[in-house]
Amino acid sequence: MPRCRTHLHTLTGALGIALALSSAPLPAQTSPAELPEQMQTSAPDLHPDQQVEWILSGHILPGFDALAGRSADLAEVAKTHCAPTDARLRSAFGSAFDAWVAVSHLRFGPSETANRAFALAFWPDSRNKIPGTLRRALLADGNTTANWANAEEFAKQSIALRGFYALEQLLYDPELMSLATPRQTCALVQAITADMARTTAAISTDWHASYADELRTPSDRYRTTAEIRQELFKSLTTGLQILGDMRLGRPLGSFDAPRPERAEARRSARSLRHIRLTLAAMEPLAQALAAGDTDLARSVTAAFDKARSRANQLDDPALAGVGDPARRFRLETLQQDVTNIRDLVTSQLGPRLGVTAGFNSLDGD
Amino acid sequence: MTTASRRSFLAGLLAAGMAPQASWADTGNPAFLAAGKTTDDRFLLAGLDTAGDILFRHPLPARGHAATAHPSRPEAVAFARRPGTFADVIDCRSGAPLARLTPPVGHHFYGHGTFSEDGSRLFTTENAYDTGDGLIGIWDAADSYRRIGHISSGGIGPHDMRLRRDAAGLVVANGGIQTHPDSGRAKLNLPVMQPNLTYIGADGQITDQLELPQELRLNSIRHLAIRNDGTVGFAMQWQGDLGADLPIIGLHRPGQPARLMAEDDPRLRNLNGYGGSVAFSRDGRHVAVTSPRGGVLQIADCDTGALVQEIRLSDVCGLASDDTGFVITSGQGVVAAIDADRVIPRRQHDLAWDNHLIPLS
Repeated sequence: MPRCRTHLHTLTGALGIALALSSAPLPAQTSPAELPEQMQTSAPDLHPDQQVEWILSGHILPGFDALAGRSADLAEVAKTHCAPTDARLRSAFGSAFDAWVAVSHLRFGPSETANRAFALAFWPDSRNKIPGTLRRALLADGNTTANWANAEEFAKQSIALRGFYALEQLLYDPELMSLATPRQTCALVQAITADMARTTAAISTDWHASYADELRTPSDRYRTTAEIRQELFKSLTTGLQILGDMRLGRPLGSFDAPRPERAEARRSARSLRHIRLTLAAMEPLAQALAAGDTDLARSVTAAFDKARSRANQLDDPALAGVGDPARRFRLETLQQDVTNIRDLVTSQLGPRLGVTAGFNSLDGD
Repeated sequence: MTTASRRSFLAGLLAAGMAPQASWADTGNPAFLAAGKTTDDRFLLAGLDTAGDILFRHPLPARGHAATAHPSRPEAVAFARRPGTFADVIDCRSGAPLARLTPPVGHHFYGHGTFSEDGSRLFTTENAYDTGDGLIGIWDAADSYRRIGHISSGGIGPHDMRLRRDAAGLVVANGGIQTHPDSGRAKLNLPVMQPNLTYIGADGQITDQLELPQELRLNSIRHLAIRNDGTVGFAMQWQGDLGADLPIIGLHRPGQPARLMAEDDPRLRNLNGYGGSVAFSRDGRHVAVTSPRGGVLQIADCDTGALVQEIRLSDVCGLASDDTGFVITSGQGVVAAIDADRVIPRRQHDLAWDNHLIPLS
């Protein structure tokens, strides 16, 4: 199976020495990069009137439900399996992280209340705050640690100590995972996972309790169906922007200055996985937004097909190859595929939904 | 600058006073000015009343940017967007054109300017593009807008400029970015760019200058607002990597360090590294910034620096305040008031409002 070969290749290459010194098992997730099973992987031929309801019931609600469910599972597992290298803990972590990536483009409404999305996902960490914050927390005294068990107290901590990206470093960074006593590390793992479970539950609850209805029927927040479609369209363009400019663009850097250390979740070798998951999440959303225009829906599907097959051919889980000309070229080609999707979406899907590039946002001064 | 023109500059900033003729009371009370684009791609400057209705439209030859109002005469000057070379003086009673200013050969405007306190001088930010020097053009507003001369702006790429309120003089946002009309809006000096905030005294000399720490070198200081006590609010535009956590608004008093708003608040990212306009609330307690790229308006508490409000609004950019709170305009034609966490639409026009909303009182 190609994926296994991938890991061995990575291990014997860039990470060989570091891993020989640590006792960590193989880092990368071995399951395929798939959306949570409740989320639809492609949109059927929809009537435009069914569009919003389909996006809600096939994409948004099951996505946030899966995130809440898997985060609750993770917190539950962490109660009894809290050592960073524990296979059950890492598996539950990977599964919850998958669910986050699948909804990480839905940056409006309940995920923005009280900075919840940032509390779950402080990325990119351009000033590298997470490692230092974790280090200080791991070496803190017992009183501080005792406070972590209190949900309200933990929620007051820096967002650099909270969410998936802090937990990823705690579970996979060779220095951080063994910096403190197992007891201290365990307390932090449990505090972070419990906090994530609460945050994701709150998002899911708010969606069901009220926000889904805001999208179903225009009212104060969205005055027209057009505004609702524009919000959903914006989440599509946001997801594609994060994919092209951040998930791919940040590690690519420039040819002369590639930045492999900026690859998302590289310690757990999830970087490429996140790219695949984002593509998988964006495709049905784009198809649903193209409802009523068969030709456009076909173009959208073709553009995603191309990017997906390119992403599937890559065997660089942590994008460590950005500095190697041949491997870099393949990542740049994928980035171009994403740019092509963005161009298609902006030039054809946007105008259909009444969204054109902003006068000020396009060309500000 | 010659001795004569330096003296003229001094005169303008020291409130010589002049006999008013027509006044703003004759205008039907426009409350704001804003540049815009029509659905058939024509450009204009509009006068708006407090309800957001258009009182006059003045056609512009190309895209406008900001404008400034004469302190006593009912006149406004609409500036071309950089690298434009027109500044139209308009009678705000009717929108009728009074004069068109053209900078000297080899200069272009940057889109902003201001009158002296007594209204006798108009100052314009300009680029002497073959040398890249940032300049402030001086025009005699008491004598048919005759060009008097220019002084240095104290940096490259002067953009917004305001009259100080705590002392005679000007404060200029030197954005630091060099451009040349031959290469359009391309940024020519990012590797060495260094923005600053420059204070210029009544004699045309630099009295104070603020540069931010080296890690913020790529944060172009672009737009300004002045609080009644003289505090300068500045909004920045980041030229570096996306995804960085960056301050976008700062407050400054000469002789003191700058205070950056909302530092460490992750919502700064929602601005996409881009502050479009900045304004203080009338009571001076809050400072707001718009980001069309983020589709968001953020309001910070001036004392604590904490973000107190964030409001999503597509292509929002123009920003001012009136007695009711902040007022915004957007590229989608909206004129709206901000009340608590809600957008209260005032008017929807069939126009795309450009970068700035200029209050007239």
